[in-house]
Amino acid sequence: MFKLSRRILMAGIAMALAGTITAPAEAETKGKVYYLVPTLLDEFQTESVKALEKFMKDVGYETVTLNADNKTDVQQGQINDVINLKPKAIILAAVDFEALKPGIEKAMAAGIPVIEFDRQITSTKSAFTSVAGTVEIGYVAADEIQKLLKAKKGSVKGKILQVLGDPGDPYTLDIQKGFEAKMKAFPDVTIISKPAMQWEASNAGTIVNDQILANPDIDLIFVHAAHLSVAAVAALEGKGKKPGEVMLVSSNGAPVGLDLIRKGWQNVEVEQPLYAQAAAVAMFADKIINKQEIKAGKVKVLGLESEVTIEAWGPNIKIPGAAISKANVDEPKFWGNLKAPTEPVKAVE
Amino acid sequence: MFVSRQMATIDFALDNLVWLILLVVLVVFSITIPNYFQIGIFANIVEQSTFVGTMAIGLSLIIIAGNIDLSVESTLALAAMVTGLLFATRGAGMGFAFTPEWLVIPISLAVALLVGAAVGATNAFFVVKLQMNAFIVTLASFIWVRGLVVAISGGRSAQSLPDSLRFLAIETVFYVPLIAWISIGGFIAFASILNRMPFGRHIRMIGGNKVATFRAGIKIDRLTTITFIMAGAIAGLAGWLLALRTSGATANLGTGMLFQAFAAVVIGGVSLQGGVGSLSGVYAGVLLLSSINTAINLMGMPAHFTQIIHGGLVLVAMLLDTLKTHIRARMI
Repeated sequence: MFKLSRRILMAGIAMALAGTITAPAEAETKGKVYYLVPTLLDEFQTESVKALEKFMKDVGYETVTLNADNKTDVQQGQINDVINLKPKAIILAAVDFEALKPGIEKAMAAGIPVIEFDRQITSTKSAFTSVAGTVEIGYVAADEIQKLLKAKKGSVKGKILQVLGDPGDPYTLDIQKGFEAKMKAFPDVTIISKPAMQWEASNAGTIVNDQILANPDIDLIFVHAAHLSVAAVAALEGKGKKPGEVMLVSSNGAPVGLDLIRKGWQNVEVEQPLYAQAAAVAMFADKIINKQEIKAGKVKVLGLESEVTIEAWGPNIKIPGAAISKANVDEPKFWGNLKAPTEPVKAVE
Repeated sequence: MFVSRQMATIDFALDNLVWLILLVVLVVFSITIPNYFQIGIFANIVEQSTFVGTMAIGLSLIIIAGNIDLSVESTLALAAMVTGLLFATRGAGMGFAFTPEWLVIPISLAVALLVGAAVGATNAFFVVKLQMNAFIVTLASFIWVRGLVVAISGGRSAQSLPDSLRFLAIETVFYVPLIAWISIGGFIAFASILNRMPFGRHIRMIGGNKVATFRAGIKIDRLTTITFIMAGAIAGLAGWLLALRTSGATANLGTGMLFQAFAAVVIGGVSLQGGVGSLSGVYAGVLLLSSINTAINLMGMPAHFTQIIHGGLVLVAMLLDTLKTHIRARMI
């Protein structure tokens, strides 16, 4: 018993020493930044954690990530807690674009810069926003779908099944907004929209199962996340369809979507440029934290031509989303290939 | 003689009320919703009932035995994710394969059942050995098991199960995929166990009156442990079936199915007080929920209505249950 206690004591001392040894390394960082991630249940978010931690480390900051499990109230609590910890900055990918507004204002008033990542909040001022633009993803998808329909039917006409994510999530509603706005110009296109509750894959499969029977003339399925397209493909397969028989377009650029392109089931994946979005945050981190002026203009982020604008809600960098097809699916720049850039990013002058 | 026959008829009607409601709902939907009345849609309803239905078998056993298990949804997700991680070839899948290929069926099924049984055994340990409250224990499991799903997958999905497994979700017999037949087989098997075997009678007795059952010399702790392990293993089976259908697993797979399973159990006439209920009614409850989901999919109705209707149905089921008890009391 005594020997065991002594061993535990020795282990404790060893751990304490190890902590002391690593302390100077921690002291070398410029400080802590908190990343409030909406959920860890999809691959985009998981990869965003890795990317932000890596890029912020490149420019000298330590990133601590807090997961809100897609719950607005949890994220509101997190932002309030983090304000008390006085970090160098808060990177926020909001669960609910509007509900987080008071938290953002409180943090900004306390002198803590809030950086909006991936999800744009236009109703209040933030220190910086790095987005691909969810409405724009809808635009890109619409352009690609127009091309696909034209190639198949000679003109832009036909029936589209649009499978949204959870109807309470502004992210999916914005994609829908962008997509439908661009498709309005084509009266011969019928769009059937159905939400997959809680972004759950089998719900998407169920929708496809039912709709393909009720509307056998569906030409194309547009799903708002790649993990839902996997269930859509499984449902099509179950109904005896072959790859390419019903066209498929998805968004966010997850690895599963890219795999489906390779297998011939999916035509296009609209990518959110995750790595570039995260790298942009790191490139401007010093300026944001030191409260230096960010000027409008063009800037290259990981080779992508991006544009910084000064908006009512603060400096905003918009990085173009890309359409991935069989022709370019293997390019390492797409985050779905999970080959994060190894080159360290540099802070902008 | 005539009175007793009449009473038996009323009793039978009360016991099978949910089947009657299902029939009425199907007829109304078939008449009023375009494209609803076709064999493919009815096959879809049966297929979509597979996962919630299978999970509801174990949940019913637990509730009939006078307990509760909130962990079945997360257990389903864990079994699906383990199946995906081990046997899927894309994403986070490790793609273990066997020669001959068909061996993947029994091995993956055994793994899923074991994963489920392990969660069930953990619940049983806390509830039976440490005498902790089942609601709290299984609520904790609901949370930690889902956390484990995220942890082991790193939030990534595992996709593309081998064809030797996927055929079970694709091949059909009488328009219905094999996975749905497995679920139906599960209902028949466990209904027989519940109605005809001593185990079934004993868990009903435990749920009805624990003290009297104990005094009758029945090993309550042993049977309670078995029901928890069974519920876990059955949830594991549901997860395996779901992984087959979606050709892998994502970290949020099965989210929201717990409440559907509870709704089906209650609509199916299983008393939350324990001791009362039949699996036939539960299956009808699952089919009823699926019929409504399908109707909403085919109508232009927003998906939020699904939840409103499900909630309303649970309330109606509870009211009918109260009414049934009242009628039976008057008949006696």
